[in-house]
Amino acid sequence: MRLEVRLYATLRQAAPASPDGVVPLDIPDGATVAEVLGLVKIDPADVRMIMVNGVAAELGRTLMDGDRLGLFPPLGGG
Amino acid sequence: MGRAETLALLAAGHVPERYRRNIGTIGAAGQARLLEAKVAVIGAGGLGGTIVELLARQGIGYLKVIDGDTFAAHNLNRQILATEHNLGMNKAAAAAARVTAINAEVTVDAVPAMLCADNAAGLLAGIDVVVDALDNIETRLILGRTASNLGIPLVHGAIAGFTGQIATILPGDPGLDRIYKLCAGQAKGIETALGNPAATPALAASLQVQEVVKILTGVGRPLSRQLLYFDTELNLFEIFTLG
Repeated sequence: MRLEVRLYATLRQAAPASPDGVVPLDIPDGATVAEVLGLVKIDPADVRMIMVNGVAAELGRTLMDGDRLGLFPPLGGG
Repeated sequence: MGRAETLALLAAGHVPERYRRNIGTIGAAGQARLLEAKVAVIGAGGLGGTIVELLARQGIGYLKVIDGDTFAAHNLNRQILATEHNLGMNKAAAAAARVTAINAEVTVDAVPAMLCADNAAGLLAGIDVVVDALDNIETRLILGRTASNLGIPLVHGAIAGFTGQIATILPGDPGLDRIYKLCAGQAKGIETALGNPAATPALAASLQVQEVVKILTGVGRPLSRQLLYFDTELNLFEIFTLG
């Protein structure tokens, strides 16, 4: 099934061929967010927020065909 | 003119000149609510400096500014309160001086100390809205828990590089642990690599001030249960649902 991964800020470095951070990805049926992180070679420790179709989600969330997965690094500055 | 006199004038339908450009947006009643409100700003650096500046101009009646840090040269690129003449000065004290110079109707208390688990509840008691202008995740989580326990709305902001995020957490809303739920114990974010350029904190701070104004006046729709994320490198402004 097909997923759209959107990488934000420093996480875009994981997809140098997609400078806008939008990465279409074929994933196995039933894949979780954690498994997708492995596919795009992003360390879960570098991810602070996960959004699926614009709504906060967990690492264990099972993804569906056509889902939009947003991955965000932590912002802590002030 | 003092605050009590201004409030009496507003109640009688007269708007003092200094607030006239506010009234079309928030109304005289909204201005009165702001002048009667107590807001605490935690941190007086990149975010907090601009937040304090704008809240004083907007006409918040009472500001408590909490920061134990002092200005250093590496603050000059973005912290509106930092100047070449006040390096070494406490940031909360500089904020209080700025507030008084802008608007003498605002009562301001400078607290030259870092917020921590031991002092947070005492410092925030009696406050109507708390603004998170901190520079680390650990203290943000302490602030978030304290505001939640006290039932005080919290306006969160954080920045790094070209990016920033703003959220309003009303009593009962999902808290900051929803935003910072992964990587527990990590004190800093990607700002350690990206730094904080001049405009990013001013942009985030302005959005935070709009949230404070909306919460206090009832005008508009605060970012409750939502997070606004901007990345000006790609001109992205997106709103996500925190649940």
